[in-house]
Amino acid sequence: MKPENLLQQPLSTQKCTVGCPLLDSFLGGGIPCNSVTELVSESGCGKTQLCLQLLLSAQLPVSLGGLAASSLFIHSEFPFPSRRLQQLSHSFRSSHPNLFGSNDPCDRIFVHAVHSADQLLDILHRIDPLLADTQNQLPIKLIVIDSIAALFRSEFDNTPSDLKRRSSLFFKISGKLKSQAKRFGLAVVVTNQVVDLVVSPDGMNGLKVGNLSCLYSSGRRVCPALGISWANCVNSRLFLSRNEEIVGEETGLVDVGSGDLICKSTVEIPLEANKGAQKGAPKQRPGATQRLKQSTKEKHGAA
Amino acid sequence: MEMSRLPVSASQRAKLISAGYTSLSSLSSVSPFDLARDLKISDNEAHEILKVASHSSRLGSSDGSHAIVHGAQTAWDMLHEEELLARITTSCADLDNILGGGINCKEVTEIGGVPGIGKTQLGIQLAVNVQIPVNYGGLGGKAIYIDTEGSFMVERALQVAKACLEDILEYNGSVRKKFQVCEVKMQPEDFLENMFYFRICSYSEQIAVINYLEKFISENKDVKAVIIDSVTFHFRQDFEDMALRTRLLSGMALKLMKLAKKFSLAVVILNQVTTKYSEGSFHLNLALGDSWSHACTNRVILYWNGNERYAYIDKSPSLRSASAPVFCDRERDPEFSFKLVNESK
Repeated sequence: MKPENLLQQPLSTQKCTVGCPLLDSFLGGGIPCNSVTELVSESGCGKTQLCLQLLLSAQLPVSLGGLAASSLFIHSEFPFPSRRLQQLSHSFRSSHPNLFGSNDPCDRIFVHAVHSADQLLDILHRIDPLLADTQNQLPIKLIVIDSIAALFRSEFDNTPSDLKRRSSLFFKISGKLKSQAKRFGLAVVVTNQVVDLVVSPDGMNGLKVGNLSCLYSSGRRVCPALGISWANCVNSRLFLSRNEEIVGEETGLVDVGSGDLICKSTVEIPLEANKGAQKGAPKQRPGATQRLKQSTKEKHGAA
Repeated sequence: MEMSRLPVSASQRAKLISAGYTSLSSLSSVSPFDLARDLKISDNEAHEILKVASHSSRLGSSDGSHAIVHGAQTAWDMLHEEELLARITTSCADLDNILGGGINCKEVTEIGGVPGIGKTQLGIQLAVNVQIPVNYGGLGGKAIYIDTEGSFMVERALQVAKACLEDILEYNGSVRKKFQVCEVKMQPEDFLENMFYFRICSYSEQIAVINYLEKFISENKDVKAVIIDSVTFHFRQDFEDMALRTRLLSGMALKLMKLAKKFSLAVVILNQVTTKYSEGSFHLNLALGDSWSHACTNRVILYWNGNERYAYIDKSPSLRSASAPVFCDRERDPEFSFKLVNESK
C-alpha cells in the first residue's frame, strides 16, 4: 500500500468537453474524469441533450478536449432518443469532417436500458470486463446514466424500511461508479430531476444542500430530487434551470456556483444545443426567444 | 512497596526514611534536586536513587499497590506540553478563534456538514496549512490525505497551495525585519509533494490503510496531519450487520486516537450528515450513529445560516460551544486566505 504521488499525475484532471466553449470554461474544461458529476434540472431544460452531446464529444481526440473514447449510455427514461442522436451525430460529423471518415460516431456509443435500481447495480457489476478491455481501439471512458431519479422515484414507498433500502442502494451504486471511475479513469455523468421546495425559507437552513442561495426553475423554487443521502453520493453537481423571460437574442444564462465556496458566476451562453431542438422546448412562444438559466454547483472548485 | 525493599545502600535508606520518604510512591513526584536537598546528598546520588526507585516500581507494578504507572504524566506537565504544541490554522480567523487557535495536534477532530458546505475544501486547506514552515507560525509538517469519495482534485489543492504561499510571502513582507534570514523557497508543487494521498474504494481498504498508517508514519515522522475525507462513505453501503459496523468503526477510532497521541499529530475526520427519524419528524444528524459520536475528541458542525456558512462546536473537552461564520468573503475579512477563484461575475 503506497500513497500516490500527486506530482506524478498531470496537475489537472482530464476533462471531457461538453461541446459548448462557455460552459466548458466554467467547468474548467468540461466534465472531470475520476469522479461522478450530476446534472440536475426540471424536464425540458436540456439534460438529455447535453448527455447526447457528451456521448459524441467524448470521441474527440484529447487535443480537442475529448477523451478519445467510446461511451456507455444507460437510460431509464423511454424511449431512447435515437432520432435526436442521429441528428446530432450528423452535425457533429460535418463539423469534424476529417476525424471520422467513413465511421459513424454512433458506432461508438453503447446503449443499455434499465428498469430498476437493482438492475442498474447488476449491470454496473457486469461491465467491468468491458471497461477493462484495452484491446478496443477506443476504450469506454464515459458512462452516462439518464436518469437516476426515474429509477428511485417510483419504486420505493415512504416507509422507514424502504427508505433505508433506497439509501443503501444509493451508496452501493455510487460506490461502484466511483471505484470504476477511479480504476478506469472514467468520467461519470448521472442526471437527476428536481422537486418543488415546499418548506418556508427560514425553516430550511439545515436542509439546504448546495451553495446557491436558492434554485429557481420556471419561477418555482426547486431542489434536486432524491434527498440528502444521494447528495452525499456525487462529487459535483450541475444545476440547469429554465427561465421563461423573453430577451432580445437567443442566449442562455449559466450560473456557476463553484467550488464549495461562495463564488457565484453568471455567464450568458449561446445555447447551440437549442438549435433544431425546438420540440424540446414546448413552452416556447412563437417568434419569441427563450432564455435558459443554468446554474451549476461544482463541488471541487476547479472552475 | 515498602522502602525496605528498595535496593539502595543502608545509609541511603536510613536517610530516606528519616527525611519522610517511607514509600516508593513518595519518590515518584520528587525531583533529584529536591531529594538531594532533603537528604543532604549530592545531586548525582539523588539521581541514582530515583533511577533505582523508578526501576523497581516498574518491576513491582504487578503487585498493584502504590505502583507508579509508567508513562503517567501530571496534568501540569501536560498543560506545559500542550502550550508548546502548535495548532493548524484553518485560514479563517473566526473559525480559528472558536477552535482556540486552530486544529489541535494529539486530538481527533471531526468535521461534519451537509453536502456542498465545504468539508473537502477545509480538508484540503488543512493539508496545505500544516505545511506552513515553523518560522511562519506553522508546523512545517507533512499531511496524509485519505480520500474515500473521490472529491479531492489536484488542481484545487494546487490553487489552495498557491494562495497559502502568497499569504506566507505577504506575511514575510510585513515582518521582514524580524526574519531576514529565512526566505521562502517553497513552490506550490512542494505542497503537493508533501501530501501523501490515498484513494480508497471500499471499506476494507479503508481499514487496511488505517492499520498501515502507524508503520507509515513511523517511517515518515514529519507527518503532522491525517485527514480522512470522509470516514462515512463506504460505511453507508453493504452493512446488514450494524453491530459489526459499530465494532469496525470503534476499532478504527481507537487506532486513530492512538496515532494522534503517539506521533502528536492532528487527525481530522470528515463526516456526512443524515436525516434521523424520531418522534414523528426528521432531524439532521451526523452520520454513523450515536456510538460513533464518542469516537472523536472534538466535533465541529458546519451548517447554513441563511446564505452564510457557519461552524458550530458541538463537542469539545476544552472549548466552549460557540458558532462562527466560516469561509467569509475576502472583502469582509482581510485575513481570510481561502482564495476564491471565481468570485467575479
